[in-house]
Amino acid sequence: MSTPAPAVPAPGTDTEGVQAAATAVARTTRLPGWFVILWRNRKCRIGLLMLAAFVLLAVFAPLLAPYDPHEDAFPTSLGPTGSHWLGTTAQGEDVLSQLVVGARTSMLVGLAAGVLSTLIGLVIGLTAGFVGGWVDEVLSFLINLGLVVPALPLMVTLAAYAPVRGIWLIIVVISVTGWAYGARIKRSQVITLRTRDYVTAARFAGDGTARIIAREIVPNMTSLIVLGFMGAALAAIGGEAGLAFLGLGDPLTVSWGAMLNQASLGGAMLTGQWAWLIAPGLALSLLITSFTLINFGIDALSNPHLRED
Amino acid sequence: MALLEVDHLSVTYTPRDQPANRAVHDVSFRIADGEFVGLLGESGCGKSTLGNAVLRLLSPPAHITGGRVSFDGVDLTEADEERLRELRWVDLSTVFQSSMNSLNPVIRVEAQFADTFAAHKVPGDVTARATELLELVALDRRVLRAYPHELSGGMKQRVALALALALRPKLVLLDEPTTGLDVVVQRSILTRLAELRRELGFAVLFVSHDLGTVLEMADRVMVMYGGEIVEDRPAGEVLREPRHPYTRGLLGSYADPRLPEVRVSYIPGRPPDLSRTHTGCLFTARCPHAEDACRTTHPDLLPDRGGLVRCLVAQEDRLPVVTLGTAEAHTALGSHFPATAGLDRPADPADAAPVLTVERVTKRYTSRRGLRTSSVEAVRDASFTLRRGTVTALVGQSGSGKSTLARLITGVERPSTGEVRFTGGDGPDLRVDRLRGRALRDYRRHVQMIFQDPFSALNPTRTIAYALSRPLANFAGLGGAAARERAAQLLESVGLAPAGQFLDKLPHQLSGGQRQRVVTARALAPEPRVLIADEPISMLDVSIRAEILELLGDLVREHRLAMLYITHDLLSARLLADEVLVLNQGTVVESGPTREVIGAARDDYTRLLLDSIPNPFAKATGRAASPSA
Repeated sequence: MSTPAPAVPAPGTDTEGVQAAATAVARTTRLPGWFVILWRNRKCRIGLLMLAAFVLLAVFAPLLAPYDPHEDAFPTSLGPTGSHWLGTTAQGEDVLSQLVVGARTSMLVGLAAGVLSTLIGLVIGLTAGFVGGWVDEVLSFLINLGLVVPALPLMVTLAAYAPVRGIWLIIVVISVTGWAYGARIKRSQVITLRTRDYVTAARFAGDGTARIIAREIVPNMTSLIVLGFMGAALAAIGGEAGLAFLGLGDPLTVSWGAMLNQASLGGAMLTGQWAWLIAPGLALSLLITSFTLINFGIDALSNPHLRED
Repeated sequence: MALLEVDHLSVTYTPRDQPANRAVHDVSFRIADGEFVGLLGESGCGKSTLGNAVLRLLSPPAHITGGRVSFDGVDLTEADEERLRELRWVDLSTVFQSSMNSLNPVIRVEAQFADTFAAHKVPGDVTARATELLELVALDRRVLRAYPHELSGGMKQRVALALALALRPKLVLLDEPTTGLDVVVQRSILTRLAELRRELGFAVLFVSHDLGTVLEMADRVMVMYGGEIVEDRPAGEVLREPRHPYTRGLLGSYADPRLPEVRVSYIPGRPPDLSRTHTGCLFTARCPHAEDACRTTHPDLLPDRGGLVRCLVAQEDRLPVVTLGTAEAHTALGSHFPATAGLDRPADPADAAPVLTVERVTKRYTSRRGLRTSSVEAVRDASFTLRRGTVTALVGQSGSGKSTLARLITGVERPSTGEVRFTGGDGPDLRVDRLRGRALRDYRRHVQMIFQDPFSALNPTRTIAYALSRPLANFAGLGGAAARERAAQLLESVGLAPAGQFLDKLPHQLSGGQRQRVVTARALAPEPRVLIADEPISMLDVSIRAEILELLGDLVREHRLAMLYITHDLLSARLLADEVLVLNQGTVVESGPTREVIGAARDDYTRLLLDSIPNPFAKATGRAASPSA
């Protein structure tokens, strides 16, 4: 909507506006700025490509999987063959199909639990940091509690005694055990942001606390929130795999953790079915690696100095 | 051979997202042993880049793209890191504006000295040497046992200076070493520095945008504009007859506040954008003497009356003659610039109605340390009145209780005893010290603030239109197109026209002066009765301070506002305020009409503040600004 500025300022007039306009025009890329910065970082680019591959795999899983993952009419405990690239399970299911469909579970859990625990952490961390006083005391106590309670045993207990089974239970369990770390970081960030003059200025402009937090503070911590989400999603994917491996997952859902669990129970090691054992583990590590690589780029997003070389 | 020789040095910033910017272009100069050279210019003129290039401290995206720097016979541009490490600090040290923050917060001052000695293998007793160094900068030996957070900004900066001198360097680069400190502290550090240089005989390159301090201190002055040196001559000559119009413009920002008539001038516009190519003289757009030739021919730095100058008009001797240092001449100088801020005017506060009254207010802070409690009176028994259409200046050093008073007036804090009454509203009188919640929020519509730091007063992620729309939505109930239209009007009322060009910008796309104008526009949005300006110009370049002062003065008159102008700078108080209150350690020591208080200061503290103001003309007229002793 800005009007084009004259190229040569008349002598004696204000030249400031013209220069600002010139610098704005100098940005020639059409992609959003944050994406350009992420893409430029080599590590991050590899991570983005890997993640994109996993997302595509998950989205198109039903088309890509050669068989139904629950179909158990095949010969049992096969090694890799032409029709079953990664062999079959002890129950006679196709391992490759399970691997492809299992990507959906990991992605869903990562996304949902990541969002959920980021949200919990955001609300609690922002409120504690911004409001301060006794509210902060109470919430900080909760955060510290969340930090010191060992997450895995709590997860196992919650998952084992829950009256229902299913993927959403796993998501909720992972979220309620994993929000505290993010909340602590966000609280510290808010404490440094809330004393900025522009927050005081917003008070003088008549804005209420909720609006100040949402409109003045949150936009200044985007990279921290994204970073927190990546971390939470990563932990959630690992957590789901762990629970499923321990046999606490949903028996009806195909997931990489459940595959590992069955490979272990089905004696994959004894029968020499290396593919059945290694494939889900490798897939998990690659997914987690992609997240870690992307985090390198997010660092550059929050710190302009890292963008230069 | 000179101590430092810089030949045809160029530095270019090549950031990935923006066009390359040639920050320093073909700069050559010499510094002799023991010489004190000032390097002047507004922000964005390449001074600090040049300083860092000399020390080889540039980090990407900045690169030396041409020329060489040689120090004491060693070519620094070619030297490897190990050779540089041997030279740095031993022969070539530095103090930055932020040096006070470069002290390690977790170790004591003594250990920082020990580190410096150890790194360069200096034998001997650390404590004895460190004590001696602290004495040099007039600090007590107890400071050795202190952690950095236990020291004030001025003390930390002195420790940084002592550290810079620890290894008896031959050249010290001082990059805005006193900017951000208050006038009294600045004065004492500069006085000490001058004495030290006489004792130890090191050379100094003093980088600053504050011509007043540089001219007082330096033997020779170099003025930089747009990455080039435009004038280079002895400091005394610069005062007697500055030859570049830019230097004259910079000098226009100074005046002695005690004179019966005070005038300052400013240079309209901003430094050129160095990412574009320019033909002709870079200063043409802002120059009052520019001729047709200036627009097409780029002038060279040529000898001119005992110095060097880069100006066609001056080289052809057609520059109007101005002798500085006298009030008349200063007025004449101001008139060379079209936008002279004729801020001085008779005070007539008697007929203005009181808007806000502070009565016998005391604010006590109680802190508990272990089992003991101690209390500090930040404000003691202060009384004053803010009136319509009147500027009241609150003057004092940092820590004198100025900001505490501002917080009491805005209702952010409550006084321990005393009353703050607001009588400017349409309804009944308000007791500000008793307001809370909703009532406090409603009261704030009448009392708005202009902040010190325009860089932190605007949210970096929000557009100008958003910042202005909030008070309009909350207090005037305006939304959508109506708010946008009103926001545009506000921007134009603070001199940002055409407003359409600014509404959708983010703060980082504006200069410091423009941001401060936006902050002012936001404060005006709820149509307040009282405006509190907390050091609104102290973070701005000296050359544009007068411009913002002029704006504030006009707004007060136009909107019939009561303004509380908080500052440590008596010159700006003299220019803007009708009444002055001098605050020393929480107590009002002197108050009255500006001209009386400043022109004939009775209190010792007021005189100390007056003496601390950098005044380049003091040297020329022979009345030396006496040190704070």
